[in-house]
Amino acid sequence: MTLKLYLLIPFSIFFLKIGNAQNLEYTKNSTNTSSKTFLDRTEFKVSYFGNIFWNNGLVFGTEYLWKEKKKTKNRKRGQRTNTHQLLLNGNLGFTTNFSTKTDTGIFTNYGLTWRRTNKKGKQFSITINPLGYYRSFLPETYEVIGDNVKKVFLPGRGYYAPSISVGIGKQRKDKKITGRFFNVNLMLRTPYNAGALPTISLQYGYRFNFKKKKRNAKNN
Amino acid sequence: MQKIINNYSKAILLIVVLWTTFSCSKDENISNLNETLFVRHKNADMPAYIHGNASEKVFLIILHGGPGGIGLSYRTSTIKSVIEKTCAVVYFDQRGSGMAQGSYSKNGINIDIMAEDVLALAKVIKHKYGNDSRLFLMGHSWGGTLGPATLLKDQSDFLGWIDVDGAHNSKNMYSEYIANFKRVASEQIEIGNDIDYWESVIDLVNNIDPEYNIKDIYKLNSEAFIAEEKLENAKLINNIEIEDNKIIFKYNILTLLWNMSKIQSILDENLFENVNYTDRLSEIKIPSLVLWGKYDMVVPPKFAQEAFDNLGSNEKKVVIFEKSGHSPMFNEPDLFANEVIQFINQNK
Repeated sequence: MTLKLYLLIPFSIFFLKIGNAQNLEYTKNSTNTSSKTFLDRTEFKVSYFGNIFWNNGLVFGTEYLWKEKKKTKNRKRGQRTNTHQLLLNGNLGFTTNFSTKTDTGIFTNYGLTWRRTNKKGKQFSITINPLGYYRSFLPETYEVIGDNVKKVFLPGRGYYAPSISVGIGKQRKDKKITGRFFNVNLMLRTPYNAGALPTISLQYGYRFNFKKKKRNAKNN
Repeated sequence: MQKIINNYSKAILLIVVLWTTFSCSKDENISNLNETLFVRHKNADMPAYIHGNASEKVFLIILHGGPGGIGLSYRTSTIKSVIEKTCAVVYFDQRGSGMAQGSYSKNGINIDIMAEDVLALAKVIKHKYGNDSRLFLMGHSWGGTLGPATLLKDQSDFLGWIDVDGAHNSKNMYSEYIANFKRVASEQIEIGNDIDYWESVIDLVNNIDPEYNIKDIYKLNSEAFIAEEKLENAKLINNIEIEDNKIIFKYNILTLLWNMSKIQSILDENLFENVNYTDRLSEIKIPSLVLWGKYDMVVPPKFAQEAFDNLGSNEKKVVIFEKSGHSPMFNEPDLFANEVIQFINQNK
């Protein structure tokens, strides 16, 4: 049974590839991103971040376009152009459980986003943030060492907190609010107790920029 | 500057009023405490949720079951509606459980350190509410393992110990599970209750390894909860009525389950194979109350008598709840509250 599966998987991939190749021809165009200004390449975002029932918060972030490629596929029904972008990404967020305030924290993370946008502006993105820091904030805390008890100033703990997000979105061309997105985010907090704590959060928000609106935007 | 002050005077006034209001409200609510504070001890930060009437500075600390349970799961029924009116109840998330956080290795979780955590909690309560605070300790299930472990280290801070279906002798649980299943199954078959199920239970225990092994104890432990459901259906155990469903919003379920699986994987093997405080219960001299469900399949009732016989207290009492399983506080909540309040009033 296992052997059959081993044979089946490469064959399936091979036929899938051939099947696609009959319909497609690829044209790759690298967009010259260096000609764009800093503001053209930078977008800001604000989003809800949490899991609705327990933790809720906000995230503010920014994205900087690093590389961009347009891929044109020639299909039977015509051409289809998808834009693939690599973006540098940074976030600053806050989250709390309002019910008991036992899980309040701020976090920041930095990494890379890969995003594909189709001609209708529909987007799919994967973000990996290997650099992340989470600082929890606890309510009134007392530290006990031997027989001594003392109140802790700014109680909480710092965690290395890398994260990964997968999401969808919609681009709005030539608008101040340039898009909206919905991500599912997995963040790891480590060291947490005797291991690492995974937390799953939903993220819904908007991207915007501060660049000047072009007069001939319609023609572009 | 004058302009700025004029513009913002209303906002400043509002902030001052709110600040004053909230600063005052804490002192006025000593008869109805509603506080969360954390105890930091040996690289762990553990929440203690304190609710109820602290006007007499009487505190009942509840040690939850598990390992890996949650403190606030007990804040329902008559513990909330009756006992909290008599004294302040401290619901404590133990190390590695609930919303407790920290940073330590696997060696940083063991019953000794967890017992020291409870003593640290007692110190914090006395520090915050005054040295004249009077503390009672209650442990349920695994909390009944942690309670004796704590008291055997230092019982001077506590005025009384309440053992609720506590596993003070986890080591002998395996053989007692088998004996208890056989006894209850035979009784149930004899009176004609759910015969197919109880026959399957007898089959299970007959085919199980008579010597301790970790896989089979998990099997027996899971079966114990199913057996209690069958006894509940047969009206031998009262239905559990949970009045406060808001508990689900107080704990992130993913964090809770993750912590539970982690701490159980670290503690359980050592716990079931080695822990037995029976011979040392005689060292516990403070007044003690042993409360047990007659149909407790999870920690069989044989251990109630064993606890009572071995406790070294001059003042001790055992109460068997006739219509209860492993959680008499939920099966017979009124009787449970009466017994607890009576015990506290006699010894505070």
